Amino acid sequence: MTYFESSFITIISLSAPLVFVVIGETITERSGVVNLSVEGTILITALTAFAVAVSTNNASLGVLSAGLIGSFIALIIVLCDIKLSMNQIAVGFVLTILCGKLSSFLGQNFVRIPGPSLPKVDFPILKDIPYIGPSLFNQNILVLLSVLLIPTAWFFLYRTRFGLNLRSVGENPTSSMSRGINPEHMRILGTLIGGFLIGVGGAAFSLHAKYGWSEGHTGNYGWICLAIVIFGGWNPIRAALGAYAFGAFQLIALKMQSVTIGFTQVLPLIPFPLMIMTLIFIQMFNGEHRRKLPVFLKPIIGGIEPGSLGKPLNKEK
Amino acid sequence: MENKLKINLLNLSFITIKLLVTFLLISLIILLLGGSPLEVMESIIYGAFGKPQKIVKTLLIWAPIALASLALLITFSAGLWNIGIEGQIIAGSVGATIIARSALGESIASPYIQIFIGLIFGGLWGLLCGFLRVKFNVHEIFGGLGLDFVASGLIVYLIIGPWKRAGIASTSGTDIFPDASWLPTLGKYNFQIIPLILVIASFIIIFILIKYTNLGLRLRATGINPSSTSRYKINSSLYFYYAFAIAGALAGIAGVVQAAGFHHKLVPAISGGYGFLSILIVLASSRNPVITMILSFFFASMIAGGSQLQLRLDLHSSMISIILSSIVLIWLVMRSPYLNNMFNKITSRLNLEK
Repeated sequence: MTYFESSFITIISLSAPLVFVVIGETITERSGVVNLSVEGTILITALTAFAVAVSTNNASLGVLSAGLIGSFIALIIVLCDIKLSMNQIAVGFVLTILCGKLSSFLGQNFVRIPGPSLPKVDFPILKDIPYIGPSLFNQNILVLLSVLLIPTAWFFLYRTRFGLNLRSVGENPTSSMSRGINPEHMRILGTLIGGFLIGVGGAAFSLHAKYGWSEGHTGNYGWICLAIVIFGGWNPIRAALGAYAFGAFQLIALKMQSVTIGFTQVLPLIPFPLMIMTLIFIQMFNGEHRRKLPVFLKPIIGGIEPGSLGKPLNKEK
Repeated sequence: MENKLKINLLNLSFITIKLLVTFLLISLIILLLGGSPLEVMESIIYGAFGKPQKIVKTLLIWAPIALASLALLITFSAGLWNIGIEGQIIAGSVGATIIARSALGESIASPYIQIFIGLIFGGLWGLLCGFLRVKFNVHEIFGGLGLDFVASGLIVYLIIGPWKRAGIASTSGTDIFPDASWLPTLGKYNFQIIPLILVIASFIIIFILIKYTNLGLRLRATGINPSSTSRYKINSSLYFYYAFAIAGALAGIAGVVQAAGFHHKLVPAISGGYGFLSILIVLASSRNPVITMILSFFFASMIAGGSQLQLRLDLHSSMISIILSSIVLIWLVMRSPYLNNMFNKITSRLNLEK
C-alpha cells in the first residue's frame, strides 16, 4: 500500500462523522431551518451512541438511538419555530449549551471505558480495488454508509418530488403553499431527517472516528460543520467534499505535529482561523460579486442561501 | 382607572404563573438528574450568601458577567449576534497581563492602566469581528466563533510559551501578578469596590446610550432593518463598527476584572464561559437593561453557589449550567410570540366583558 493510498483511506474514514453532519445540516437548512444546535447535538448523540452500545453490547443499536435523539432535538427547534414563532438561532444556541453540559453531566460514568465496536463489512472482490476497496469495503459500516449517503442525498434533493417541495419551502414558503405544499410538514420532515443524520454523525464520532467518550468529546467540530455547510453552498455533494478537504487538512496538521514541537496545544485550534479565511474567500464571490467568477468555477464556489433560511414561518400567528 | 388596575393585576398574575411554571419545571429537571431540588437550592443560597466572604465573592463573579451582558445589549440592539464576546474577554485579560508583567506592574496606578488597556484590547478584538462582518460579509456568528477559538489558542500559546512560569511550562497559568497589580481591596473580607463601580458606571452609560441618545436610536434602527436605515442616510456599517467596539471594550474590562481581580494571573479558562452565559442572560431578558442586570445577578449567584454542589452534594459541576440554560429555554418559550398573543387575547377579552 502506498503512502498516498493509506492517507486516502484515513481521510475517507476519519471524515465519515463530518460527512453525516454536514449533509444532515444541508438538508435541514434547505427546508429553511437553521439547526444551530449541531455542536450540542453531536456531543449528546455521541454520548447516547456510546452509552447505549456499552449497556446493550450492540453498537448498531447505539447508532440508531443517537439518530433518534438527534431528531428529537431537531424537533424541539422546528416546533419552537413553526408553532411558537420563536427565533431559531436563539433556540439553537440555548440548546447547544444545554446539550453540551448535559453530555458532561450524564457521561460521567462512561469516561474512557471500553465498549463494543461496529460490525465490519468485508466484500470479497470489491475490497481488492485499489484506493476504493480498502477505504469502503473493508471498513466498518458507517464509513460505507457515509459515502453512499452523498449521492443519495443529492438524488433526494434534486431528483425527487419530495426534494423539490423541500427546497421550494426553503426558498419561499408562501408561494409553495399556493402550489398545495404544506410548509409546516415540509419543515418538520426536513429537520427530522437532517437531525437524524446529525445524530448518526455524533455516533460516528464516539463509535468510530474517536472511539469512546470523554468530556467535550467532539471538540468543537459542530461549529466547523456549520461553516462547511456554507462552504458547500447548501449542496450535499460540495458540502461532503468540504468535509473531506477538512479531513485532509487535519491529516496534514497531524503529520506536522511530529515535526514542530509545542504544536500539540495549538493544533485543535487551527481549524478556526481556516474557517474564517474560507468564509472570507466564499463571500468574496457571493452576491453581486458572483458575476466576476469565471464560468467554469461557478458550480464549485459560492452559492445562494435558501431564501427563507432562519425566518419563522408564521410571523403574524 | 379601575380598568388599568385590572390589566396590571392580570399581567402580574401572568408573570407569576410563568415564574411558577419555570420553577416547577426546573425542580423536575433537578429531580431527573438525581438531585433533590430543596437541597440543591439550599446549597446554592448558602454557597452564594451564607457568609460575608461568600457575598463578596458572589459580587466579584457578578461584575464580569454584568459587564459582558451590558456589552451584549449593545450588539443585540444593533441586531448582531456577538458570539465573539468570549474572545473579547480574553483579549482584555491579555491586555491586563501585559501591563501587570511590565515595569508598570509594580506601580500603584497599575490596575487603572490595566483597565484602560484591557478596554482598548477588547474593543480592537471586537472591531476585528465587525471588520469581518462589514468588509467580507462573514456572518458574525462564524467570524466571532472563529475569533473566540483564535483567542483561546493565543492565550494557551502565551501561557506555555513567552509567559511561562520560571522553570515549568504548564497550562495552569502564568506567575501571580505583583501585589500592586491586583485590584485594590477594602476591609477584612477583601471586598473589591472597583468592579462594582465599573458595573454601575457602565450600566448608567449603556442605559442612557440605548434609551436617550441619537446613537442608541440609530443602533436600534440598524438592528431592526439595516437596509431601510440606509435610506435615511444612516451608514449601517458604521453602526456595526460602533456596536462591536463598545461591546468589545466592555467585555475587555470584564477580562481585566477576571485577570486582576479574580485569578490574579492569566489562566487558559480566563473567561470562565461568562461570555456565552451572558448571551443566555440577554436572550432571556429580551434586551431590557434593568432586567438584564437583575438576571445577571441571579445567574452570578447561581454560579457562585453552584461551586459548592460538587463538594456538598456530590453533583457534577455542569449541573448549574444545565439548570441555567434550561431556565433560559423555558423562559424563551414562555415569552414566545405565540404564548404572548394568547395572554394578550385573554386580557382583551376580559376588557370587553367589563
